Amino acid sequence: MAGALAARPALARWRGCVVPLLALLACELAWRAHPMQSDAVAPPSAVLRALVVALGDGSLARATAQTLLASLGGLLLGAGGGLLAGVLLGLSRPAAASAGLLIELLRPLPSVALIPVAMLVFGFGYRLEIAVIGFAVFFPMLLLAHAAVRTVPARLTEVSAVLGLSLTAHVRKIVLPAALPRLFVALRLCVGIALVVAVTTEIASNPQGLGYALLSAQQSLAPDTMLAVLLWVGCIGWGANAGLLAVERRCFGAMQVGGGAP
Amino acid sequence: MSAGAAQLRAVPVTGSAAALISFDEVGLDFGVRRIIHRLSFALRPGEIVSVVGPSGCGKTTLLRLVTGLLRPTRGAVHRDGRPIDGPARDVAIVFQDYANALLPWRSVAGNVSLALEAAGLPSAQRPARIAALLAKVGLAPHADKFPRQLSGGMQQRLQIARCLAQEPAILLMDEPFGALDAMTRQDLQDEMLRLVRESGTTVLFITHDLDEAIYLSDTVIALRANPGEASSLARTFPVHLPRPRQQLATREAPEFLRLRRQAYDYLLETH
Repeated sequence: MAGALAARPALARWRGCVVPLLALLACELAWRAHPMQSDAVAPPSAVLRALVVALGDGSLARATAQTLLASLGGLLLGAGGGLLAGVLLGLSRPAAASAGLLIELLRPLPSVALIPVAMLVFGFGYRLEIAVIGFAVFFPMLLLAHAAVRTVPARLTEVSAVLGLSLTAHVRKIVLPAALPRLFVALRLCVGIALVVAVTTEIASNPQGLGYALLSAQQSLAPDTMLAVLLWVGCIGWGANAGLLAVERRCFGAMQVGGGAP
Repeated sequence: MSAGAAQLRAVPVTGSAAALISFDEVGLDFGVRRIIHRLSFALRPGEIVSVVGPSGCGKTTLLRLVTGLLRPTRGAVHRDGRPIDGPARDVAIVFQDYANALLPWRSVAGNVSLALEAAGLPSAQRPARIAALLAKVGLAPHADKFPRQLSGGMQQRLQIARCLAQEPAILLMDEPFGALDAMTRQDLQDEMLRLVRESGTTVLFITHDLDEAIYLSDTVIALRANPGEASSLARTFPVHLPRPRQQLATREAPEFLRLRRQAYDYLLETH
């Protein structure tokens, strides 16, 4: 019984791989049937070979570390600041009212438009990238954290007032735990944004990380390496999301079963 | 203590000088809507007073005035002769919607702990206090469960345990048993009476159930909806029924039936 139940999702997961694998196989066969010289595409086998080479010589690992480090720095700064500001605005209506206009003015600015400015201020390197990523994730985190705090049941705030909890105890023991499932969704969103902006910044101007690896493969007319890096970037994004999802299920799965938390 | 007594003498109090809580000509408006008008009554220590009345007559508002979460527009609510200016740790409130008032991410013990943490009790002393409180309300075997794993009656017991953890001088109850089935409600009524008698807590109990109000109380207060120029306090019914009360014997007593008839007639008349 348990075996049948376990087998079904596993089977479904493998079924999902059938179409992509068939498509890759078709590409490979088509390439073999009509080999051509191209600066833009390469057969799956060549891409796989390039991926193995890049993984083997450590260049991909170094680039990955650079991109992830910059993303992490940007997330800590931007999402951390956004969380703080969002919680503050969620707790205080006057603060939310007075910051509203400023936020609405700054928020629509595309973060990548800040690259030239950030480059002048910080030069190349981590600081440039962290600043741009930080700006990109600050506003989504701020808005979602604000909304998450506003959804904390009024009854719980009342309980906290009647018990005489201090403001810090109220935030630590009532607001943050109540908002945590929503804050985690916000974090997942911000991680996705951070990776996109990191790679974009590296392609546009910052000579480090996966984006730059992609760019230099393109410029040295090595489509197999370029596509290998692209594939790898996809894997990183997928892996980050899957990891966060697993953490989310582990931490809040039990809470959502009973409908205790929204 | 003597300073408190001096304060009592210094501030004039309407009604009994021994009043724990006194409403003095209290009025409250929400915008242009008048909720409460010229309400005066006193709550003596150890007394159980129930408030009944049609919905929208300001029953819940009355409780919020005692917690200090809400200030009156006119008049004043006094505690020991001093105006109430904010929440006090020894004023506890049991809400009707226990599911919203409990923290779903904390265990049964953790929910009781919240009140002890708020009171600043050192963590080493908490487990013993929690165990004692849970034993009092019959939740000792469920200390590690989460609120969602409990029945409605048990969740309400848990909320009561959290309120008892505040060692309240005044227990405010806002239709606490309204969402429970009849048997559970009777169990909890008796349990509440027992706990309150043990600790000598003063209770202000809001309900829409006249039988419940008479069964539990020393005094039943009927409020008027849309008071206009009249006082919100429509009528006071003193209840002279012996304690401890018993679900069958008390409810069959001629005095209970007389009061019930009187109160029902009165409420029907005023609708």
